Amino acid sequence: MKKTVCVLLALALMIAMTACVGGTSANTSSPSMTSAAASSETASSSSAAASASSSGTASSSAASSSASASDKVYHIGICQLVQHVALDAATKGFKEALIAKLGEDKVVFDEQNAQGDSATCATICNQFVADNDDLILANATPALQAAASATSTIPIIGTSITDYATALNLKDFSGTTGTNISGTSDLAPLNDQASMLEELFPDAKTVGILFCSAEPNSYYQASVIEGILEGDGLSCSEYTFTDSNDVSSVTTTACAESDVLYIPTDNTAASNTEVIKNIAVPAGIPIICGEEGICSGCGVATLSINYYDIGYAAGEMAYDVLVNGTDISTMAIQFAPKVTKEYNADICKTLNITVPSDYTAIAAN
Amino acid sequence: MIQYFASLNFMTLIKVLPGDIAQGLIWGILALGVFITYKILDFADLTVDGSFATGGAVTVMLVLSGVPTPIALLAAVLAGCLAGLVTALLHTMLGIPGILASILTQIALFSINLNIMGKANQAVSVDQYRLVLSSRFNAQAILSGAIFVVLIIAALYWYFGTEQGCAIRATGCTPSMAKAQGININTMKILALSLSNGLVALSGGLTAQYQGFSDINMGRGAIVIGLAAVIIGDVLFTALLKKRQNFAVRLGFVVIGSILYYIVIGIVLWLKMPTNDMKLFTAIIVAIFLAVPYLKERSRSSFSRAGRNGGTQNA
Amino acid sequence: MLDLTNVCKTFNAGTVNEKHALNNVQLHLEDGDFVTVIGSNGAGKSTLLNAVAGTWPVDSGSIQIDGQNVTGLPDYQRASLLGRVFQDPMIGTASNMMIEENLALAARRGKRRGLRWQIAPDEREQFHARLTELGLGLEDRMSVKVGLLSGGQRQALTLLMATLRRPKLLLLDEHTAALDPTTAAKVLELSDRIIAENRLTALMVTHNMKDAIKHGNRLIMMNDGKIILDISGEEKKQLTKADLLQKFAEVSGNTLENDRVLLS
Repeated sequence: MKKTVCVLLALALMIAMTACVGGTSANTSSPSMTSAAASSETASSSSAAASASSSGTASSSAASSSASASDKVYHIGICQLVQHVALDAATKGFKEALIAKLGEDKVVFDEQNAQGDSATCATICNQFVADNDDLILANATPALQAAASATSTIPIIGTSITDYATALNLKDFSGTTGTNISGTSDLAPLNDQASMLEELFPDAKTVGILFCSAEPNSYYQASVIEGILEGDGLSCSEYTFTDSNDVSSVTTTACAESDVLYIPTDNTAASNTEVIKNIAVPAGIPIICGEEGICSGCGVATLSINYYDIGYAAGEMAYDVLVNGTDISTMAIQFAPKVTKEYNADICKTLNITVPSDYTAIAAN
Repeated sequence: MIQYFASLNFMTLIKVLPGDIAQGLIWGILALGVFITYKILDFADLTVDGSFATGGAVTVMLVLSGVPTPIALLAAVLAGCLAGLVTALLHTMLGIPGILASILTQIALFSINLNIMGKANQAVSVDQYRLVLSSRFNAQAILSGAIFVVLIIAALYWYFGTEQGCAIRATGCTPSMAKAQGININTMKILALSLSNGLVALSGGLTAQYQGFSDINMGRGAIVIGLAAVIIGDVLFTALLKKRQNFAVRLGFVVIGSILYYIVIGIVLWLKMPTNDMKLFTAIIVAIFLAVPYLKERSRSSFSRAGRNGGTQNA
Repeated sequence: MLDLTNVCKTFNAGTVNEKHALNNVQLHLEDGDFVTVIGSNGAGKSTLLNAVAGTWPVDSGSIQIDGQNVTGLPDYQRASLLGRVFQDPMIGTASNMMIEENLALAARRGKRRGLRWQIAPDEREQFHARLTELGLGLEDRMSVKVGLLSGGQRQALTLLMATLRRPKLLLLDEHTAALDPTTAAKVLELSDRIIAENRLTALMVTHNMKDAIKHGNRLIMMNDGKIILDISGEEKKQLTKADLLQKFAEVSGNTLENDRVLLS
């Protein structure tokens, strides 16, 4: 008896604690939550009934939900792998796109973060499936894989994923997965990035490619760009670090052996730009980066895609699936809508690099 | 606040339980491996962070190249045994202190796992391959997981009742007595570490199939989860079954500890806590769990109570 | 039964703490000898026992047990020939395991441990009988975990385990030092009985001069890593404590200054 009282008291204490901090909870995107809560009960049970009676394909459940589109509240589960500037921007873009299209009171987000733990992705996706969410946003590769494993019926929109074929181990990939998965990719055209490197540094002979060995997206970009650069006559070497702890020693080696460095859209590098800058800039080695965040930290120039933009595009794709009833298995993976040539003014000045006029300076913030 | 409570759907919690139980069962196998080294051999084995991922890597790469899944899992077990063997040899042959030897193996396994997979992450889809279990079908996953767990507990119960198993137990409990009885404690350590890491690798292989991918970092923090499960199971076991100390039941509680840990994570997710604080709340709930039996005992008999009963008068 | 020839062991060689623990020790034990070993602290008594048991390798010299040269064998490989009772009651038995499991382990000393069940069906009866002989009531508690027993009970159990399979040589390393006088007397009496019944060869280290004189058929006194006195037979039976002290003074040139030895 005492044991149960203790446990209940502890639970009550915990809930009281969270109520104090709960003001910043991710669920405040829809302010009129009482009505949302009430209608979500009926909406989820009706969609549950609808999908239970349907043959289980995504299109038919989308069709049944479009029948009551005017008063339906959509439940979207967001599984983000880790806190990270780029991933956060993509999630933000996704949410804002849906809120803009559906209206704030018609969509409820269940935003979860796996804290970098791939096993937790599986737990989170199980939660979404149990909740019978209308759609799942998978932000980063392990999240996509966990979602794909957890359900074949709930539509899954991925984002911040470089290559869907690698992530899902698909052979003969032609742009559509043919299953309940689609989404946007954060791949900036690598041959354009290679051209940028050659345009800015025509005298460079050796290129060092710096990335984290634990990130499959980085590995993919590194191999592709290596092929392109070597085809153009440059010699490339890979310099990999396992995690934040050996960034500094690997960067030092890379700077000693290369004329110019390239960093793909690597999450670990993005968290360690200060360290990289403090080694590369004094050594006089310029860095071409795969995305704006890394460039503003330690790079010279980048062909930037905007993570907010691809998140927003993912949100538009989600709207298409949910409201217009488009069959997700026929939707091709979308890439960043626009790429911008950008440069980091401070570092360029320090290294005495002049950039052509079609480059925009990265706004300091 | 009221809106918050109104938004929590209790039925969702019930529906999410099968997934949590399935994950708890699979990680329970890892907890059994940790139990062998931590409780029986009294050895802090950090190799598990590496051998867990090794199990996942070996299983996925073999399944992708067409090997039947059960054989792939067997290969994963052997790979895990090898990892344990390396740690044991570093400790017994080269005299490196146990915990350091296990850390060295864990570090080495990072590179080895990367080489096995060829890259940091490899997907294995339940749509393309015949997997033993998958998060797509939680009910079957629970059944498969339960079968594995029951078979393993039965095997361990039998093994630790044999002459060899008892020799391992003696080595972990009192090495001097074991040596005096003619037991080669180095051999016993090798056996125990291999067995333990074999189980951990099996758990890794099953997890990779369940979640649909194997990842180079999937083992990070595995030792913490394993120890948490062992300790939760132990605390519950002593609290509920004071007198009857059956070894098989004890092992069963280790797996129950793992399931409870995952249910706790499920509850934390269900409560829709601020996403940054998920690990904090998991730790708080587990701490409360572990403190309850101790506090219950304290409420019965403590210094403050004795002081009150004994009065405050000095002589 | 036991032959030590020119055995030397130095600890911390070449440093400030260098200690010549065993200095060319020569010792010969006949079958059935029950030898008590006394000496002041640092004399080398426990070192002698550890050398015989094989805890570490000796620097030079040879050790033969029943004609077998064991100098190159580590402790667990010599275990089939030896029975050992330690000074610390806690380390002679496995506290997490039951009495019968400990006895089962001891019954397999020196044998290959395979995958058979730890206790054969008839072994339990044998254990019961042997435990009854101890006279401590342990035979009714065979499924009790050893950790719950008292120090004296654990030492008695360790003694039984050491002699369950008849050892060529029984090593008793101050095995009553950690017990209270009554229990110590009981354990000593047990030791005597078991050694006599099984006609064992035994080497017993003790700090207690009275015990050293009373038990055994031979007495050895050590000092500075050497054996300085070796008395047996009638002469030993007539010994008194004063005699010993005087003999010590004659041989070593110092008086035996050690409270523990003198006051016991």
